[in-house]
Amino acid sequence: MPRFLHTADWQIGKLFGQFEPDEAALLAEARFVAVERLARLAQEHAVDAVLVAGDVFDAQTVADRTIHRLFNALAGFAGPWLLLPGNHDAALAESVWTRAARLRAIPPNVRVCREARPVLLEAAGIAVLPAPLTQRNTFNDLTEWFAGADTPPALVRVGLAHGSVQGILAEDIDAANPIAADRAASARLDYLALGDWHGTRRIDARCWYAGTPETDRFRANDSGQALLVELAAPGALPAVSVLATGRYRWQALSAELQVASDVDRLLAELAGFGADDVVQLEVGGRSDLAGHRRLTDAIGQARGRARSLVAELGALQLEPTVADLEGLAADGYLGEVIARLQAAQHGAEPAAAQTARDALVLLAGLLECRSPAAAGAAVASAAAPGGDR
Amino acid sequence: MKLTRIRVDQFRQFRRALEIDRLDPGLNLFTGPNEAGKSTLVAAIRAAFFERHRSASVDDLRPWGDPAAAPTVALDFELDGQPCRLVKTFLAKKRCTLQIGSETVDGEEAENRLAALLGFQHAGRGASKAEHWGIPGLLWIEQGGAQALREAVGHAGDHLRGALERALGEVAASGGDALLATVEAQRAELLTEAGGRPRGAYKEALEAEAALAGELGVLDDAIARYRQRVDALAALRDEHAADEAEQPWRAFRTHQQAAAERLAAVREREAMLAATRTRAAQVDAQLALLRSQVDGFAREDEAAAARAAALEAARAALDSARAPLEHWTAQRVQAAQALETARATLRAARQAEARDSLAREAAASHARHAAGAAQLARAEAAHAQVLALQHAVAANELRPADLQTLRTQDRALADLRLQQAAAATRLVYVLEPGRTLELDGAPLSGAGERRLLAAASLVLPGFGRLQIAPGGADLAALAARGADLEARQQALLVRLGLGSVDAAERRQLEHARLGGELATAQATLEALAPGGIDALRAEHARLQARAAEAAQALARLAAPASAEGEAAASASAAPSAAASVIEAEAAEKAAADALAAIQEGLHRAQLAAANAETALAAAARELAAARAQLAAPERARRVADASAALTDTRAEQLTLAARSEALAAEIAAARPDILEQDVDRFRSSAEQLERRHAERRDQLVRLEIELQSEGAQGLEARRAECARDHAWAARRAAELRRRAQALDLLRSLLRDQRRALTRRLQAPLQKHLNRYLQLLFPHACVDIDDDLVPGPLTRPLAGAGAGGGVETGDFEALSFGAREQMGVLSRLAYADLLAEAGRPTLVILDDALVHSDAERLAQMKRVLFDAATRHQILLFTCHPAAWRDLGTGARSLAALRAD
Repeated sequence: MPRFLHTADWQIGKLFGQFEPDEAALLAEARFVAVERLARLAQEHAVDAVLVAGDVFDAQTVADRTIHRLFNALAGFAGPWLLLPGNHDAALAESVWTRAARLRAIPPNVRVCREARPVLLEAAGIAVLPAPLTQRNTFNDLTEWFAGADTPPALVRVGLAHGSVQGILAEDIDAANPIAADRAASARLDYLALGDWHGTRRIDARCWYAGTPETDRFRANDSGQALLVELAAPGALPAVSVLATGRYRWQALSAELQVASDVDRLLAELAGFGADDVVQLEVGGRSDLAGHRRLTDAIGQARGRARSLVAELGALQLEPTVADLEGLAADGYLGEVIARLQAAQHGAEPAAAQTARDALVLLAGLLECRSPAAAGAAVASAAAPGGDR
Repeated sequence: MKLTRIRVDQFRQFRRALEIDRLDPGLNLFTGPNEAGKSTLVAAIRAAFFERHRSASVDDLRPWGDPAAAPTVALDFELDGQPCRLVKTFLAKKRCTLQIGSETVDGEEAENRLAALLGFQHAGRGASKAEHWGIPGLLWIEQGGAQALREAVGHAGDHLRGALERALGEVAASGGDALLATVEAQRAELLTEAGGRPRGAYKEALEAEAALAGELGVLDDAIARYRQRVDALAALRDEHAADEAEQPWRAFRTHQQAAAERLAAVREREAMLAATRTRAAQVDAQLALLRSQVDGFAREDEAAAARAAALEAARAALDSARAPLEHWTAQRVQAAQALETARATLRAARQAEARDSLAREAAASHARHAAGAAQLARAEAAHAQVLALQHAVAANELRPADLQTLRTQDRALADLRLQQAAAATRLVYVLEPGRTLELDGAPLSGAGERRLLAAASLVLPGFGRLQIAPGGADLAALAARGADLEARQQALLVRLGLGSVDAAERRQLEHARLGGELATAQATLEALAPGGIDALRAEHARLQARAAEAAQALARLAAPASAEGEAAASASAAPSAAASVIEAEAAEKAAADALAAIQEGLHRAQLAAANAETALAAAARELAAARAQLAAPERARRVADASAALTDTRAEQLTLAARSEALAAEIAAARPDILEQDVDRFRSSAEQLERRHAERRDQLVRLEIELQSEGAQGLEARRAECARDHAWAARRAAELRRRAQALDLLRSLLRDQRRALTRRLQAPLQKHLNRYLQLLFPHACVDIDDDLVPGPLTRPLAGAGAGGGVETGDFEALSFGAREQMGVLSRLAYADLLAEAGRPTLVILDDALVHSDAERLAQMKRVLFDAATRHQILLFTCHPAAWRDLGTGARSLAALRAD
């Protein structure tokens, strides 16, 4: 009973500029770790082969070290690996694959499907029909030849392709590398293993996107997984099970603060983040100074816990309360300045409004920094000095 | 606020307690010399307010050498109608108590209350400094510090604004200045003060971002280039593979070969044509030869006939040439005879003429010989005489110098003799006759005299002998000189061969005479023989020889003349003979000429005959040769052969011409030039394709290697890293930009607000200030700037009346004295402002206004007196006399301490 692991879109060599350098380095490293985990899963599940549906590498000209590391990461599984060139690592005249071959980095159990020709894994009972990309992008359906390709009847027919299934992925309608939606049926495939879509996705019973084994963006959902596919016999429906492979949870969080309890809710969410969370936080709405302070404190703490947290508070408007102002001892013209900034943050011009918000936060911070004792004295008497510096 | 009592204990120089009470609510004047404790009293008041009682930095309050001291200041004052008391003890007993009415506060709380009431602050650490002093720092003027107004106002700014709020109905900001300073400092870290341009970390972030963006662009370009070349590599590979499969150059190579073969065939035809043409040329040459051969045979026959005719003509010519020879021979014999005759005649004539000439010459020679002999004889006689005379002269010759010497010697001797005679011993004797004496052996007799020049011995016969020695010393010398002279004269005479001087004289005369004779004889000889006697003799010998020769010649000639009598007879008359010679010569020449002419004619005739003979012989030979040629045995066959060959060759010539024409037509039809072009075209096409193929292969290899090496550089990996760094840098730059903009906005808002507030304070302050100012500078006014410090002062020009010009100058530009006065005025104005706002005021002047002249000081006293109606003023001075007219009693510190 042939059984194989279907994965794709490893995007080895990808870097993450939106994070702090040390965090980005760890996220890049995680992609290698995910591949190692895949090898381990293949071994654990004793699969007959691992099929990688394109975009193993994120780019053609990656460092030699990266190539060696990737193939070393496959060592955990000694069975056959079939790697398909995708749009990021197409089998061009000179490509990451030719270079890997020159570097003698490719172990014997790893096969790079650089040509559209059936690969017969007799021992596994699988005949693989690969549709490698030999250009960066193509507008032909590279899987067309599958239908005309004969394979030994005893072997299950598995297609391996990288691209967009037509009419299914609405946002990718005009994308390059089209794949006919009924390809599995029309080419008499028992299973069509697809790559390119970074989330796990079932097209039909015989056609799946595996998704990337380690999440690499906030947008994609259901990523960080691989598929374990079992085919009882040629013609039988595949049994597909989803295996978790990713470590980091990428979450895009956006909150609109209106009342104090909104802050509480957001704080609770922030408190839940741990070491495997990669978070993008966007906060809008309005808040008083106390809420703002609590939020920034909480973000600072969450940053310490999460793998990475990118927070954008630019849209959050500060609405200091009377108590805030008393707390800041912002008397006299300082109060006037705060009022003017407060008004300016609602201005029509977004950049100026943003600057006003920033200035307001800054001023509040400066005022808060003044010694509480002095601030207290200032409250007690309007004539009191500004306190120790 | 009015101080009523001050008590100081264990405080610096006040080791014992000093108490000043019953302070006036207005002016209080304290006097005392230096070191009297005026400044210490001021310091005590300051310490009581400004220093924390717990401060460890107030060691200077303690009296010298009293480590256990507990400096204490106690102040009683009235504040808002309530009696207050502050007691502060430092160091040994740290204590602070403040009573306000019935309320008592202790320690730090008491200190904070005071600070809030008076408007100052305490130092965070260490001793209190000017920046903490706030309003009291402004109103309590330290010694020599009245003019330093701006700093004091700066330190008091916030307190002033805050303290005055009640009067103004405005709310000042607590710590606004400090906040503004912080904002400005933070802004200054990111933006330049002047242009608001990025600086520091902000600038670095922008630069880093730009640098990374540039790097990213470079990498993008490199990647695009790399990708293009990867695509190019694929395209090249496809083309190369297609080429390898098709090998399109092969067809061209085949075409090229076919064309080349056709061209070769044409070239062969061309070679044949050339050969045919060569052969035709040879045939043409052969034909010409044959023709000339046949012509030659014909010419031979004609030549033989011509030779025969020529022989006949030669014979005729010989005959005609021989005819005149005989005539010419006869003529020549006659002419030769005539010439012989003429020559004989000429010979005879010439002999006659020669004889006559010789005879004449012999006679003349003889005559000359005779004359020469006579002259020679005379000359020889004269010569003998000259020789004799010359001998005589030579024998008598005496050199004039010798003669002169002799004469001189003679004169010297004579002188000597005279001297001797004079000096000599005269011996006069008169002897008896017969009697003789013998003097030095010489007998003396008769009478005489002798002069004895030397010792003499006189023998008196019979008697003996007398030895006479002449006296006188020089006699001997004279004798010696005389002997010397004589000897020399004698030697000369001997050399000259003379006996005496007289002889010399005589010889000299003789010599002169003989000289004259010799000259005469020589002149005679010269006349006779100018060339010398020997020349004369030689001439004579020559003449003799010539005469002899002439005689001999004549003798020789005379003999034949006599033999040829007839001829001689005919030639006896000399002139006729001469004439005959000329004629004979002419006749002989005529005869010779005639003979020569005839000889010439004969010769020419002989030559013509000989030529004719030679021509005849040649003609005969030629004829013989021609006949021999014609008679040659092979000739007939050769003539026949030549004729046959000529016919054959003409036939071949025609054949060759036809073949050439055919070949040329064939070649022209084949167009070898076009065929050649075809070959080139096909070859070049094939080569081009092959070359392109090879080049593409090279290009492929090159591109593969380049791409491999570039791929190994990890361009896209580097780009990803660069993009990551750039994103980070851009984020940081954006953050800093936002911060900078926020700070900039904050600063401008804070400044605006503060300025707006300050402006409201300016007007009342100016009002107070100008009121005081009128007392000091009538009609002057002063502006208050944003920092509430007096700015430009405008006042009438010195000496100008009302309505005259004004001058404006900055406060800082005033003289020190004026600034000091302005400083005091300003502070009083602040005090007025504070008093109006219900704030406590206390003015302390420690030795102020010492730089003011008497007039200004008088004005200032009026100002102070006026101010004292509203504020309590403590004035400390060491010049009590200057302040005597202040209207208040002075307290002498010295006196107080003495109490």
